[in-house]
Amino acid sequence: MTQNNKLFSAAVIGAISLTLSGMTQAQEATADKRVALSNNYAGNSWRQVMLQSFEETAEQATNDGVIDAADAYTTSENQATEQAAQIQNLILQGYDAIIIDAASPTALNGAVQEACDAGVTVVSFDGIVTAPCAWRIAVDFEAMGHQQVDYLASRLPDGGNLLEIRGLAGTSVDEQIHAGIQRGVETHDAFRISGSVHGDWAQEVAQKGVAGLLPSLPEIAGVVTQGGDGYGTAQAFDAAGRDMPIIVLGNRQDELQWWQEQHAKDGYETLSMSIAPGVASLAFWVTQQILAGEEVPKDLTVPFLKVTQDTLESVLEETPRGSVANTVYTLDDAQSVIASADNG
Amino acid sequence: MPNVLRRPWLWAWLAAAATFAATLALGSGRGAGGLAYAALSFGAFAAIVGVGQMLVITLGPGNVDLSIPATMTLSATLALKAMDGAPDTVLLGLGVALLVGLGTGMANFALIFLLRLPPIIATLAASLVYQSLAIWSNRGLRVKPPQALAEFATGRTLEIPNVALVGLALSIGVWIVLERGVWGRWLLAAGQNPRAARLAGVPVERVRATAYLSVSVFAAVAGFLLASFSGGAALNMGAEYLLMSIAVVIIGGTSIAGGFSNVPGIWGAAFFMFLVVSMLNTYGAGAGARSVLTGVIIIGIVIAASSRRNHA
Repeated sequence: MTQNNKLFSAAVIGAISLTLSGMTQAQEATADKRVALSNNYAGNSWRQVMLQSFEETAEQATNDGVIDAADAYTTSENQATEQAAQIQNLILQGYDAIIIDAASPTALNGAVQEACDAGVTVVSFDGIVTAPCAWRIAVDFEAMGHQQVDYLASRLPDGGNLLEIRGLAGTSVDEQIHAGIQRGVETHDAFRISGSVHGDWAQEVAQKGVAGLLPSLPEIAGVVTQGGDGYGTAQAFDAAGRDMPIIVLGNRQDELQWWQEQHAKDGYETLSMSIAPGVASLAFWVTQQILAGEEVPKDLTVPFLKVTQDTLESVLEETPRGSVANTVYTLDDAQSVIASADNG
Repeated sequence: MPNVLRRPWLWAWLAAAATFAATLALGSGRGAGGLAYAALSFGAFAAIVGVGQMLVITLGPGNVDLSIPATMTLSATLALKAMDGAPDTVLLGLGVALLVGLGTGMANFALIFLLRLPPIIATLAASLVYQSLAIWSNRGLRVKPPQALAEFATGRTLEIPNVALVGLALSIGVWIVLERGVWGRWLLAAGQNPRAARLAGVPVERVRATAYLSVSVFAAVAGFLLASFSGGAALNMGAEYLLMSIAVVIIGGTSIAGGFSNVPGIWGAAFFMFLVVSMLNTYGAGAGARSVLTGVIIIGIVIAASSRRNHA
């Protein structure tokens, strides 16, 4: 028994030291590697925080000697053709890896294949690419839609009318969240979607759409959203003098602050969830692991960031005014995401 | 044909009235007040940028300002950052917005006049610079407007939204200048035939400069109001006003070939553009069907309005 224990501790210590030395080796292995971020759009606060997270992580990693260089490039027009040309430039500039937030899941596949053929590691996140040679760090958007209805069902056991705010028409993210919401409404059949508008993930657009639809809507019990549209929706309900439904929010600071104010006023409670823009730092560390020669599955899933009544205060404190709630991921986070994908 | 049928603004107003009725029909007449109020609020922003765009389009073929969305974003971003949500800074914010409008207007005209760039290229290129300035100045952080300004922008006077009152005041000002002022005559003359206008002694370049300055200032004011109305400036807040500003001008009966303006039509068209989306949302049309129907309806109105004018 004692013998076994000793053996066990020795094994644990051995494993730990192996991991530690493995880690330093892995970090040294990438010290001369250069990484580029190819980003298709910078025109909203989420993307701005995403770029900041990437730059901070990249700067730290460069200073620590983990990597030689990590540069961020953004296209100006949010066009797949422009981004494809940008990727071709990055290949010619001799980067070892290209991290992509893609304008289209399929339109960049040609350029991505060229990169793979040239021996460049390609990792896509948020806006992923379907080319088989690339890695994908995806969010389970369908689950995000489904969980919103699950939450509303827990709050409103008797069901009621729902208003659905959709995202940018024609994007895969919008389709996936919508599909999740549809499945959620099938599961909880006391709910009925009695209206939907496209809010394009923008408060002004959502506000306008809801204001135009509200006069013809019955009493609304809950609003399911896609992020960046909750505050505008709330303002439209307010302006129309309607009872405030439970609006599932999307982690924007103005939404969280509004929630806090409503809670202080009449005990309003809701749920807020979205992807943390810091997913760019996760993509960075996953890329570093691939460059270091680690076995990394092609499809990884990143959890979304949820804010509940219990965590509202602390999240709001950490979130800069006018920004988006964020988590910056570390090497350890990347390793655990990779490990969970291995097991799954 | 009765005189009123020849009015080019008639079709925009008829279309707006029809979509209003069709939207209410589904709710069996409920919510008429709410819908009209929303149309007035949101139509005001489209009308303000539309009136500005109309002045430029009146200058004749090739004249258009594509920097409206970027000017709106830049003016709103800088103004809200300058005010920083503090009370008693509303005038400062408005001043910043107006300065941004004057600045972008002058820059646009300098590119067009000094470098002889076509307005489409000049304003599109300049808008990339304005958008980048907006990103660089605040990195997309959403600053809340001061309480008093937010209350004004979302408030109402005599049951009419304040933003609509501002928009109406600006529109009436432009309408008077166009219908009764010398500058308005000059603008129409320059738009109909710049060569003839120049020979007749119209200071054509000065008229053009004023038109490009005006559209930028109108866009800056619209951006300032929109950000105050919706609780802060966002980097993509102007996006839908590029097509909107041109659509309301054309649907409103202003000639795309220039030389002919129409202010009342802009308001009819602005209401229509808001109501048609509300109507299709109310009937549960999907995004694809909505885009197709909106396009078809717009083409229909433009054809109806222009064929009447030709036969008249």
